[in-house]
Amino acid sequence: MRELVTIRFIGLRMSRDWLTMLLLLVIPIVLVTVFSIVLGDAPGSDTLLRNETVVLLVLAFQLFGGAVTMNYVHGDLFSEYKYRLRSLPMNTTLYAFTIMLAGILYSIVLGAILIGYTTFIWDVNWGNFAWSMLVITLMSALSSILCLVFTFSVRNFKIAERISEIYGVGLILLAGMFFPMPDNSLIHGFNEYVNPITLAYSSIDNMRSGLTTEAIVDSGLLFGIIVLVSIALFLIGRRRMP
Amino acid sequence: MTIASMKGIVKRYKNQIVLDYIDLEIHEGEIVGLLGPNGAGKTTLIHGLMGIIPIDQGTIHLFGEGGKVFHNKNKEKMGLVTQDLTVFHELTAKENLEFFAGVYGLKGEDKKKRVQEALAFVGLSSKAKQSPNKFSGGMMRRLNIACALTHRPKFLVMDEPTVGIDPQSRNHILEAVKKLRDQGTTILYTTHYMEEVQAIASRVVIMDQGQIITAGSVEELTKNIQHEEKILIDVNDVTNVPIPRLEKLDGVKRIHMQGSTIQIISSVGAGNLDRVLSIVKETTGVVGIQTEKPNLEDVFLTLTGKQLRDGEDERE
Repeated sequence: MRELVTIRFIGLRMSRDWLTMLLLLVIPIVLVTVFSIVLGDAPGSDTLLRNETVVLLVLAFQLFGGAVTMNYVHGDLFSEYKYRLRSLPMNTTLYAFTIMLAGILYSIVLGAILIGYTTFIWDVNWGNFAWSMLVITLMSALSSILCLVFTFSVRNFKIAERISEIYGVGLILLAGMFFPMPDNSLIHGFNEYVNPITLAYSSIDNMRSGLTTEAIVDSGLLFGIIVLVSIALFLIGRRRMP
Repeated sequence: MTIASMKGIVKRYKNQIVLDYIDLEIHEGEIVGLLGPNGAGKTTLIHGLMGIIPIDQGTIHLFGEGGKVFHNKNKEKMGLVTQDLTVFHELTAKENLEFFAGVYGLKGEDKKKRVQEALAFVGLSSKAKQSPNKFSGGMMRRLNIACALTHRPKFLVMDEPTVGIDPQSRNHILEAVKKLRDQGTTILYTTHYMEEVQAIASRVVIMDQGQIITAGSVEELTKNIQHEEKILIDVNDVTNVPIPRLEKLDGVKRIHMQGSTIQIISSVGAGNLDRVLSIVKETTGVVGIQTEKPNLEDVFLTLTGKQLRDGEDERE
C-alpha cells in the first residue's frame, strides 16, 4: 500500500494552500465572530440564537470541504501532474482514495478548530463534543465523496466545480439559512430526511437536548446518504479512473 | 540486452494517426536521442512506452518481457522526466523527492540517502528546504529531473527536459545525462534541439508526422549528406535577393532564408561560391559569410523538406 505513504505529503500540500485555508477557516472564523457579537445572548427557539446560528454556520462550511479533494484529484490525476503520476508504480484508484482520505481529514481538522474556537472564545454550546466531531466527520466525508462524483461524472472540471458550489449554496438555501423557505411539504420532507445540513444540525441539537435516539437516527440518515453516494462514486469512478 | 522494444505501434486520436507503425529498440547503456519537430509524435510515443496511454496496435517488450509489461515491478525500473514541470509547489525540494522515493518503495535511511544523492546530483543540495516557487526555471527543471532519479532507474525517459531554460542550466542537464549514462542508465531523450542530440546521443531516431524517418548514429546519418555543403550568407536585406537566379546555379540544391541569413545547400566541389556572392552583391550588401558541414538539422531538412524548428520561437 505505497499509495498511503503519500498521505503525509498530500496533507502538507493541503495545509500550505493558503487560499483554501482562507476560504475554509479564516472566513468562517470571521463570520462566527461577527454573528457572535451581533447575536449576543439573544434567545432562540430552544437554545441561544448564537448556538443555533454558529453551529449551522460551521456545518455549512463543511459542505465546501470537498472542493479541496476534487481539486487535488483533478490536478494530480487528470491535469498537470497526470503523466508523471500515471508513470509511477502505484494504483491510481488507491491514490485517488488517499487524496480523498487526506481531504476528509483536512476538513475534519478545520471543523475541529472551528468547534474549539466557537466553544472556548464564544461559549457556543455544541453539546456532546465527540458526537459533534462524528457529525463533522460525516459531513466532511459526504462532501468529499459527492465532489468526486461531480468530478468523475462531468467532463469539464470547471462545470463540476460550479455544480459543487451550487450543491453547497443550494442546500444552505433549502435549509432556510438565508431566508425562510415556503411552507411546502416537499421542502419539509427534503430537509427532514435528505438535506445533510439540517440532518447534521438536528443530530447535534438532539444530542445536546438529550434525545439520543433521534440524534442517532439523524446521523444514520446522513450515513445512509454517504453509502448511496459512495456506490455512485464507485460506479462512475470505475469508468473514469486511468 | 534490449531494454525496450516497440513493434508496429499505432496510436490514433479520433481519425488522426499520431503514431504510424513505429518500430523502435533501445539497448542497455545507450542514450537514444528522439528528435523531431513539435507534433511529430515523440511525447505520445514515450507515453505509450511508459504505459501511460494505451496503444491501439502493436507490441511492447520491456526488460526482455512481453505481454502485460506495465506492472509495478517494471515501472520501478523506469523513470520519467516530464516535459511539463511536475513538481509540487507546496512542498520543498526535499519533500518532493521524498514523495517520489516513497512511491518507489524506498524507506528509512535508504530513502534519506537517495534523496540527498539526487539533490546533490542536480546541484540543489543547498536548496533542499526551499519551495520550488523560489526556484529559477533552470532549477525547477533540475528538480523535475531529480524526482525521476531517487529510485535509480535502469531506464530513464526524458521528455524535452531543457525546454525554456538558460544555456547554463541546459549544459548542467546535458552533463548530468552523460553522467547517468556512465553510471549505466539507459536513456531515451526526446527533444527538438538537434545540438543537444548531437552532444549526447549514441544513437539518433528522427521522427516526423508519427513516423520514424531515419535512425542511426550522428556520423551515420550525416555521412549520407557529406556530399553537400552549406553556405551561410548574412545580408542587409533578404527581400531583394533573387532566389530563382540562385536556384538555377549548378550544384545548388536548396535555399532557405532564416532571418537575415541565406542558407544555400550546394554540392561539394560545385565551386559556385563566387557566383553566388556576385549575384547576392548585385542586390544587397553582404555582412558575413561562412560555410558549415552538414548536421542533423540538414539531415532532417533533406528527408522532410522542412526545418526542425519551423514556426517556433528561438530558444533562450
